Amino acid sequence: MNFDKLISGFFIIFAMTLNFGFFYGSMDSLVQHSKYELFAAIVVNLIATTLKIGDKTQIGSVLLATSLVADIQLIAAATVWTITHYTGSIDLHITSVIISLSGGALLANVISVILYIGETLKAKR
Amino acid sequence: MSNNSFWLLLQKMRAPFIVIVLTHTIAIAGLVSLNGVTADGEPYKMTIFDAFYFISYTATTIGFGETPYSFTYPQRMWVSASIYITVIGWFYGIGSLISTLQDKLLIQEIAKTRFRKKVRNIREDFFIILGYNNVTKKIIGKVLARGYRVVVIEKNTERVNELILENYVPNIPVLQADIYDPNALELAGIKSRYCKGLVSLFEDDNLNLKIALTAKILNQSIPLAIKSTTNNHTENLQDLGVEIIENPFNIISNHIQMLLNAPTLYQVTKWVYRIGDLHTSIFTLPKGLYIICGYGRMGKQIHQVLANNNLPVEFIEIDNKIGTALTKEELKKVIFANADDKEVLKNAKIEEAVAIIAGTNDDTTNLSLLATARKINPHIVTIARENEIENLSLFHYANIHYIFMPSRLLIHKTINALIHPMADKFLELISTKDEQWAQELAQSLREEIGPNPDIFDIKITENDAYAIAKKINSKEAIYLDTLLRSRANHHEYNRIKPLLLWRNKKSYLLPQPQIELQLDDEILFACNGEAIEDIEYIAQNDYELEYILKATI
Repeated sequence: MNFDKLISGFFIIFAMTLNFGFFYGSMDSLVQHSKYELFAAIVVNLIATTLKIGDKTQIGSVLLATSLVADIQLIAAATVWTITHYTGSIDLHITSVIISLSGGALLANVISVILYIGETLKAKR
Repeated sequence: MSNNSFWLLLQKMRAPFIVIVLTHTIAIAGLVSLNGVTADGEPYKMTIFDAFYFISYTATTIGFGETPYSFTYPQRMWVSASIYITVIGWFYGIGSLISTLQDKLLIQEIAKTRFRKKVRNIREDFFIILGYNNVTKKIIGKVLARGYRVVVIEKNTERVNELILENYVPNIPVLQADIYDPNALELAGIKSRYCKGLVSLFEDDNLNLKIALTAKILNQSIPLAIKSTTNNHTENLQDLGVEIIENPFNIISNHIQMLLNAPTLYQVTKWVYRIGDLHTSIFTLPKGLYIICGYGRMGKQIHQVLANNNLPVEFIEIDNKIGTALTKEELKKVIFANADDKEVLKNAKIEEAVAIIAGTNDDTTNLSLLATARKINPHIVTIARENEIENLSLFHYANIHYIFMPSRLLIHKTINALIHPMADKFLELISTKDEQWAQELAQSLREEIGPNPDIFDIKITENDAYAIAKKINSKEAIYLDTLLRSRANHHEYNRIKPLLLWRNKKSYLLPQPQIELQLDDEILFACNGEAIEDIEYIAQNDYELEYILKATI
């Protein structure tokens, strides 16, 4: 067992599950979406991104790209939420924007996990 | 992505990034979960943004104070802990960034990337020169002066710095790498269409051979100038198809051959190399007994020449070790002793000798033994080999009749072969001519042009001779005569003499003016500055060409 692989696999999958946890819920209310979960998702995504850095192979570059996409979308969601929260302009439209941004990030994370599994299977064979 | 240095940097920064992210997360999470009190005594909890804001300025040691309200003691305790972990995280990150930037591997990668960019940006003809030393330094200077660019690969850091400090104009891209490394050669642009040649003149024959082999595999069509000091290596290089093989000892023996039999030919050779004119008095080597000090590669080559001329030779060699590698026949000829010793020189019949050649690879020995020899026999002709290139040469003050300098010969040969390939071909062709032929040529050049004519070559192509190429393409006959006439008055000729016409790998030495020109002809002229200007105008300009053609009809 490769300890490095364990760590990076753990963070890549953890990033996806946390992201899903935040995204899951109704689209028109933030009550069912925890801000702490979003915070955790961002942190874990950042760590996952860092772990993917520095791999020059084709698959490594694509993995890094999906992670960067997820980071950008999640950070965008958090930024929108923070700004609208403090300006008091949060409404139904903004709510759906925040949730759909995290949904986009989830898609990127899913792709990332699929690629990761694919690479693992290829290595096993 | 091709930028290695960037990836290397990212990979090294992985751990610090993770440490920074983790320390911040822990600090923020703690702050968010702790209870606080507002200014009015109401309980409150920090939002994630409050915590992020506070930790961001605390971790970076900026410190705006406690926001949004004064902290409670549990909060302050947590903040004290957070400050230590986050600040340490930052310092670790900055520390690793700096140490990574100073990392040798990274610096090398950055240097490589910059070198590659510089080479790629060269949009003029350039030469790759391997190694930076006294010899290549002179070559670089001359090559730059002729308007070519240079790229250098050198292994030694000190020499690389020396080159950088030299501040050449235009700038010389220099790469510090193993000279025979195929990657380094590729980075240096050996596959570029602007690359016009590669020069490798190392002392080590095997290294030169290795380089020639690598270069030929990478790019078959690039002319290589490679040094070789033994026949064996020369043959190997010929098999590889190396264009310019430079054997300094071979050149020296050729020169001795010329000085013995055709001194004017030697004068012409020097003139083509641009290191002498046709006016200087001619130095001839006498015929008689020769003493050669040093029976190494050079001594053997010279012996060959002298033997071909049926001249008696005495050898003196100081190094006993050489004796073990010689055949019995050779051993008989060689005296193993210190040539600087009077008795030894007398044993070698110095009183009867007409010339002494000091050919060891030690400059002090050479100077000293010639001085000794002169004392015993004041009329002896002294010939010395000078090994080191120095600005102030002792040899020039020692009144030595003839100085051979292998490194200088290499410089002239290289420059001539790379920049004036036609002149090099000319030298090759005339090397078999005799004294009478050379005298006639030298005399006609002196009378028709002057004591030190310029050398100029032109190729009949659309680029270099637009007007003439156009005429030839429309099936009009243009004769060599056209290029010899004066633009000022087309009934008169310039001070010019065609030396060589090169057509389809066939050479026409001293071509007649009546010869008809064809496309891709290369012509070498001896002429004055005015004639060079006229040729360029006539070859390129339709109107000038028409004017000249009127006279020939």
